[in-house]
Amino acid sequence: MTPILAIDTSAAHCAAALRLEGRVPARVEPMAKGQAERLMPFLEDLLADEGLGWRDLAAIGVGCGPGNFTGLRIGVSAARGLALGLGIPAVGVSGFEAAAHGLPRPLTVALPAPRAHLWTQRLTGDGAEPPALLAAAEAGEVVHGPDAEALVRAIAEIAALRAATPQPRPAPLYVRPADAAPPRDPAPVLIG
Amino acid sequence: MTELTILGIESSCDDSAAAVLREDGAGARVLSSVVRGQAELHEAFGGVVPEIAARAHAEVLDHCVEAALSEAGLGLADLDGIAVTAGPGLIGGVLSGVMLAKGLSAATGLPLIGVNHLAGHALTPRLTDGLEFPYLLLLVSGGHCQFLMVEDEATFRRLGGTIDDAPGEAFDKTARLLGLPQPGGPAVEAEAREGDAGRIRLPRPLLDRPGCDMSFSGLKTALLRARDAEMAEAGGLTRAARADLAAGFQQAVVEILTEKTRRALALYLEAAPERPAFAVAGGVAANGPIRAALQGLCAEAGVAFSAPPLALCTDNAAMIAFAGLARLRAGEADGLDLSARPRWPLDAAAAPMIGSGRKGAKA
Repeated sequence: MTPILAIDTSAAHCAAALRLEGRVPARVEPMAKGQAERLMPFLEDLLADEGLGWRDLAAIGVGCGPGNFTGLRIGVSAARGLALGLGIPAVGVSGFEAAAHGLPRPLTVALPAPRAHLWTQRLTGDGAEPPALLAAAEAGEVVHGPDAEALVRAIAEIAALRAATPQPRPAPLYVRPADAAPPRDPAPVLIG
Repeated sequence: MTELTILGIESSCDDSAAAVLREDGAGARVLSSVVRGQAELHEAFGGVVPEIAARAHAEVLDHCVEAALSEAGLGLADLDGIAVTAGPGLIGGVLSGVMLAKGLSAATGLPLIGVNHLAGHALTPRLTDGLEFPYLLLLVSGGHCQFLMVEDEATFRRLGGTIDDAPGEAFDKTARLLGLPQPGGPAVEAEAREGDAGRIRLPRPLLDRPGCDMSFSGLKTALLRARDAEMAEAGGLTRAARADLAAGFQQAVVEILTEKTRRALALYLEAAPERPAFAVAGGVAANGPIRAALQGLCAEAGVAFSAPPLALCTDNAAMIAFAGLARLRAGEADGLDLSARPRWPLDAAAAPMIGSGRKGAKA
């Protein structure tokens, strides 16, 4: 299925790939902030360079993380808006699946997490164990995997494989529950 | 007037909302207004948790848009524009709404219109009651409390506002301190009906100062102290003391809002509006005694009183569509680089009241 636009804003970048007949042009723009402002013009540029417009797209792939929570929501929300507006499927692809694309399984994938931690997930033949958050020091030997450009290309390829069958809407893969504590002031003891 | 149909999207706090509004020569009509609240997600935490809110918006908003279109019996092709709250508010939620709207706008080629959430509230009395400019608005909710003189669709003059918390937040806190359920507004109001508002005297911060500014933070602390004193005396919180505390708290809020509204009305009337009108919007406007006191004040002053129906008074997307329509008619639209803004004062000329730090004024 072509063309498929893949989007990834799960780390400090805007990344995109376009799966066309026989090739997958991709680009990555590193940025510490401003993904929300930059993402759509960035995607438009990529499409325009191939002589394409939004309405030429057959499907959208989006990186669901894990990664920066805000970045995940930026990419996923844009993908869901595009999918609804264009009437085409949007496919969520986890960073674990993207990193493992084309590699023999079983395989444990580790992705960088904040504060010297790693997001990890063991991918088996056709399934996966639940993802986890692990201190980098406990992870043992880690082989460096694909870079951001290769990852967003893999998202496009995986989206192409899945887009033909109905898919759940993309949702961020947070791994961690939201930081929230119950209120500090306990309820009073009622008498009488 | 050409007929225009616009989609509105709202996600600045704990309500995910979408609405379709149509305006023609006969006026503006809300064709659909879908609001999915998150109260149960936040209940255990005694207040809105920004990360929980953001997570919910990202996975609910597009469903709201589909539901709003379906209820209106329309498709995206029937629209003339897409309006979205671009701030102020909890940034995670605002970002989700803005990115969804950008995706929809890019896909359809429809103009993207970023709307100030406060302008949505401020213009609602025109949608619901056809108020003429200039009118005075008190926006009073869980996140906001300010007096705005609404001069036209884009000119809002702030006459005063809270320098710390919003009253809705104080109602929620009061409910927690008294062991009442959330949201605190209705619970405290119901409890106050059983109590004696005169027995426990709570302070009225800033009431002795001139101007229209307000403060509710000290009131929360005073309530905590008064509760602890009652509990120390009785060995726990008696039902009667709880009702008296709720009544005393509500009475303090009523008196602060009434007196400050009296002053704001005086300032507003200096502008000699032809048909003077006052409107109250925001969730706290649902409080019976507050509404009654403001209504009485307006009757005294010879000013028409209006309070939009609750569904358009609390957060909703119809008001965002309506405010967006005014921008669309004025030929304004935003690019796909539209920013989501956590802080965005309506009246940029007024001195900042809250958060005058590096990030700019919050309100």
